[in-house]
Amino acid sequence: MPPALKKLNMFSPFERLNRQTILILITSQAGLTLLIWQLSGGGLIPRPSAVLEALGHLLTTRLFFDNLLASLLLTGQALLYSVLITLVFGYASVIPFFQPVAQFIVKCRYLTLTGLIFIFTLLTKDGGQLKLSLLLFGIVPFLTTSFLSVIGHTPAQEFELCQTLGYNRWQSLYEVIIVGKADQVFEVVRQNFAIAWMMITMVEGLNMSEGGIGALMIKYNKYNDLPHVLALQSVILGIGLCFDYLLGVLRHWLFPYTKR
Amino acid sequence: MTPYTKKEVLLRVEDVSLSYDRVCVLQDINFSVHDIVRPGLQQGQVVSLVGRSGIGKTQLFRLLSGLQKPATGSITIRERMPVERGNGVIDLYRERVVQPGDMGVIFQNYYQLGWRTVRQSLLLAARQNRLLSGKEEDAIRQYTLQFDVADVLQRYPAQLSGGQQQRVSIIQQLLKGSDFLLLDEPFSGLDVCVLDKVVELLLQVSMSDELKTLIVVSHDIATAVTISDTVFILGKKPGLEGSTIVREIDLMERGLAWQREVRQEKAFVETVREIRECL
Repeated sequence: MPPALKKLNMFSPFERLNRQTILILITSQAGLTLLIWQLSGGGLIPRPSAVLEALGHLLTTRLFFDNLLASLLLTGQALLYSVLITLVFGYASVIPFFQPVAQFIVKCRYLTLTGLIFIFTLLTKDGGQLKLSLLLFGIVPFLTTSFLSVIGHTPAQEFELCQTLGYNRWQSLYEVIIVGKADQVFEVVRQNFAIAWMMITMVEGLNMSEGGIGALMIKYNKYNDLPHVLALQSVILGIGLCFDYLLGVLRHWLFPYTKR
Repeated sequence: MTPYTKKEVLLRVEDVSLSYDRVCVLQDINFSVHDIVRPGLQQGQVVSLVGRSGIGKTQLFRLLSGLQKPATGSITIRERMPVERGNGVIDLYRERVVQPGDMGVIFQNYYQLGWRTVRQSLLLAARQNRLLSGKEEDAIRQYTLQFDVADVLQRYPAQLSGGQQQRVSIIQQLLKGSDFLLLDEPFSGLDVCVLDKVVELLLQVSMSDELKTLIVVSHDIATAVTISDTVFILGKKPGLEGSTIVREIDLMERGLAWQREVRQEKAFVETVREIRECL
């Protein structure tokens, strides 16, 4: 088949492309999008060149880095606590007595943060604690949902193999769920990092004490400074993608059997 | 014919039945496996449970392994309990209902814990065996050399071939130290060369201990007859809703047990035909 026609395979369902072709596809499609945006932009929506200029400006200010650091620290803290809480309730959920609590946490994902701000304000001492508790309340139900799904999809044969090896139930729990699902816990955290990172701007918007990238974005929004708003969005997207990649690399390093 | 005698009952299945959603799958299952003694030899037992697809072999496999409880009846084993007396260890025996963990189980797909390397998996099994206490690594080295998987100790199950996975599964259960080894369709999907190796391997295992008992669940009649000393046929009987043991064939009596070249024998061909007609 001629090379030109071979390339048409990218329109064929389930076709597997090599890394180079995928890279070319992503770069060309991103480039085309930016070009269309640049040519069609104007009016209120800033062109990519204006966003790039605003990004350049942001990168020269200390304010940006201080706020970014505040957001990253808060996200890291919230994610760490969320993982710990999720693991405790997730592992406990295999014990029937704790199942209702775990299921209640799962259902809490339907509650909105906005409606709970006042209650959390009463329960916390300062803005930092308020933001952290709001983030925890926002992240934990999603993390728990994903983790319970991982536990629920454990093949019965994993437990049966442990049983045939003479393990008791606690030993099976340790081997199959705690050790065996550690890589998937990591994957769940990786997937839910996006939720945490997305929520940070929202939470920082709800409570602007101590700053943060969300507070900064609201400030620029207030003055209709859209190039800076979009520049901040691109930073948020970039950091999110970096963390996603890093967590993926870390997962393969910590759990070599996940490499395919 | 090689002289042999049947001694104590090692496994007894009595009036076992099993139902799913009020549909009777297994009914009136009765059979027993005896310790076979051959003078001057360490001879274990190899019995096969053969039957057509969908007849309930896997259900019976699960009942025998203790992973599932029968609706009625009982499955009991003769348990060996090594006890230290004076300057040595003597074996005491008792009969009791089978529990999960009593039988070494080798699943059809040779299931392994995907997050453990071969060495880690084998070590986990060896640690369950009190008799190997402190000698786990030596036992692993010995078995992996014997079964030709010493070079894959640091690999994960997904990195092993089907044959290697099967051998690792067998070693794992041998290290665990159970006298009983239950194998679900061990010959399924194997090519002729690998099949011969597996047969050889299982015979080797069966001769590793006088009380070692292999229970092979299979639909491959010819290979089952090649490897076994007794064949139980699972099928349907008129008037019974569930499947049951319709026939027991003593291959020792027919001079077909423990022979490497048994497939050349006329009696072998006739036995295979007889079993096929029973299904």
